[in-house]
Amino acid sequence: MPRKTKEQTEIEKEENKRKSTKKATTANKKTTTKKAETKKAPAKKRTTAKTKTSATKKTATTKTKAGKASTTKKTTTKKSTSSKKTTTKKKPEIVEYYDLPYRYNQTIVKVLAQTPNTLFIYWDISDKDRKSFEEQYGENFFEKTKPVLIVRNDTLNYSFEVEINDFANSWYLHIADSKCDYKIELGRRPIKKTEKINVDYIYVSSSNEIEVPNDKVLFNKNQKMVYFRDIKTGIQTEKEITNISFIRNMGKIYDIYDLGENHNVSILSNPSSGSMYQ
Amino acid sequence: MQEKKGYVSFVLHAHLPFIHHPESDDYLEESWLYEAISETYIPLLTNFQKLVDEGVKFRITMSMTPPLLSMLDNKLLQKKYIKYLKKLIELSEKEIKRTAGDERLNKLSHYYFDRYSNDLHLFKDVYKCNLIEAFKHFQDIGVLEIITCGATHGYFPILYVNEKTVKAQIAVGVQTYERYFGRRPRGIWLPECGYVPEADKYLKEFGIDYIITESHGILYANPTPVYGTAAPIVSPEGVVAFGRDMESSRQVWSSINGYPGDFNYREFYRDIGYEADYDYIKPYIAHNGVRVHTGIKYHRITGKTEFKDYYNVQWAKDSAEKQAGHFLDSRTAQIGNLAQYTQNPPIILCPYDAELYGHWWYEGPYWLYILFKKVYYDDCNFELITPSEYIDKYPNMQVASPCRSSWGANGYSEVWLNPSNDYVHRHLHVAGDRMCELAYLYPNAKGLKKKALNQCARELLLAQSSDWLFIITNGTMVDYAKKRIKDHIGRFTKLYYQIKEDNIDEEFLKDISKKDCVFPDIDYMIYR
Repeated sequence: MPRKTKEQTEIEKEENKRKSTKKATTANKKTTTKKAETKKAPAKKRTTAKTKTSATKKTATTKTKAGKASTTKKTTTKKSTSSKKTTTKKKPEIVEYYDLPYRYNQTIVKVLAQTPNTLFIYWDISDKDRKSFEEQYGENFFEKTKPVLIVRNDTLNYSFEVEINDFANSWYLHIADSKCDYKIELGRRPIKKTEKINVDYIYVSSSNEIEVPNDKVLFNKNQKMVYFRDIKTGIQTEKEITNISFIRNMGKIYDIYDLGENHNVSILSNPSSGSMYQ
Repeated sequence: MQEKKGYVSFVLHAHLPFIHHPESDDYLEESWLYEAISETYIPLLTNFQKLVDEGVKFRITMSMTPPLLSMLDNKLLQKKYIKYLKKLIELSEKEIKRTAGDERLNKLSHYYFDRYSNDLHLFKDVYKCNLIEAFKHFQDIGVLEIITCGATHGYFPILYVNEKTVKAQIAVGVQTYERYFGRRPRGIWLPECGYVPEADKYLKEFGIDYIITESHGILYANPTPVYGTAAPIVSPEGVVAFGRDMESSRQVWSSINGYPGDFNYREFYRDIGYEADYDYIKPYIAHNGVRVHTGIKYHRITGKTEFKDYYNVQWAKDSAEKQAGHFLDSRTAQIGNLAQYTQNPPIILCPYDAELYGHWWYEGPYWLYILFKKVYYDDCNFELITPSEYIDKYPNMQVASPCRSSWGANGYSEVWLNPSNDYVHRHLHVAGDRMCELAYLYPNAKGLKKKALNQCARELLLAQSSDWLFIITNGTMVDYAKKRIKDHIGRFTKLYYQIKEDNIDEEFLKDISKKDCVFPDIDYMIYR
């Protein structure tokens, strides 16, 4: 269960601040003089999105820390004159501006498969856990140790280690074997052993386990049978794959796919995806 | 007449992300819907009707995604579409006057005036603003099979680290389908054809019979499917998977000699929105003065040249007819070959983005119409079929686990997970976990809390739309996509804390519920 962190409390504070100021927004029709001088086109051209979010933002107090350029803010006040004719009968719009939090302050390691040969890993260590490491291993624990990722291939039963750095919070990793289960462990190794850090390795956290995709036609030579199921009746039947004509037919079909040496088909890039955004 | 030896199955995936801004008219992105209605959905409906009127027996499958259905059903967007059409009609009227001195151009101005006027007539008077009902009609008379999709096109291979978020995508997808079509869907278009075996149990739970995968979803399956993509396979969990046929895909989409590149076809990039005198075109482009596509395009592809000739409607039709003939001959040869080796008659599955037909490939809907007529009248060795019909006819199939795959560039997850958009996933994962936490903490909530919890579910689903990630990768309209992710995660997070503190801001909830008004029947308990 996610803990409520300092940062989240800050977000909330901001949100509460916004809540309390949002009622004041109606009073802001006064900004007309400012509006006249501001240019609308350049800011709007940059992003339709931004201008809209800020359209309702009328006071400096409503700005979040992450804030937006003051030009945008000015622009928006201009908009409000023209569109606010209706405000006499309408309630004030709700002020909204969001930024994604930099971190969630939870100890976590997650792994995703980008391709059959590339893993994407992201991680974080909560302030609480950082503190407890420092309590156990000394104040300079994070300076005296370096972060590592241990990649475990649970299918072929091997693992390897990759040194990362404390400036990153995510990493892409090449892996040799597709169609295998992988799990990542985040840990730290002392740069030099000290009295307090008198171990080779300190475990921090483990990731979810994933199976990375397969990237070739399998053609398992040891396989003797294939199974068929009638999906209406559920009756399953088996066929011997070693039957010569069966193999010949299968070969003829797979010839069509123009398999490369490694039994890869040349994957067709699909130009159709997302055609409306052209 | 040749004996029928196999089947061809067209599957068109109709999808747009949910874009609804009651607070403003300034969002250019809303026009994606209007363009798709005029260039794809109405032309498809018109051509289906023509085929029915002419007594042509045909079959086609379409996935209509929940966000698209929600937008087509939205009264405000229907009104805005009518406004969009009226503006276009006004512009084409002006164009008729402006081009009076040039016979060829003037003919095209008239063509656009007639076309958009006809759209307005069809939309208002014939379809009564209800395109869902119009598509449903063709399903009801048995020529069209409509399938569903993930609730907001969330990409399963990345979401599944929290399986409940995948379950919710499926559950809401099925629920939305039932709301509009009055029955359960038999098939689902997995968003981006993103397949993970972990989703199978949920697909079964919600009654889905079949999915569509990219070619290697079948070819790299385990064990190797003996008939390649020429036959569906069934996963150990009982989900039937049809794989995209590569040969027909290449014919249509090859960058060298693919059909849409024919020199007689309409050139997409030449539009008077960019070319006409600025003061003249200003009322018809973006409110902020940015030039955009208007839909009035006067040129044909012509060749690999900057000097484009005027578009000629008849020449374009001639090319479409020629290509439909080529497609028919190619499938006949392909099926004749495959049928020697397969146990059941082979099926050639041809899945495409629906919006390619008409929007990108302007002549696409006409090509489809001609092709379907040819399949019916000409001497060929195959028939059209829907995946459901094929399953019903040939229920015996090989058991194999499809390969984890997608239809994006290079076949896996690079489009939706790369250095330009990877920062998004931790937020989506945290929000997914938090949604499950809320469902666990507050089961069977009532009143305001229930409304807030349901809205949380909507915000999470909207944030998960694969479109935002795609747009960021693609590099166009990036600011809008990033803002949408921030908005939905932001709204979700704010509500999450308000619910936990028992301090729900009713006005805020009302405001975001109006903006993000998808899935009226949603029940947050799906996350439990």
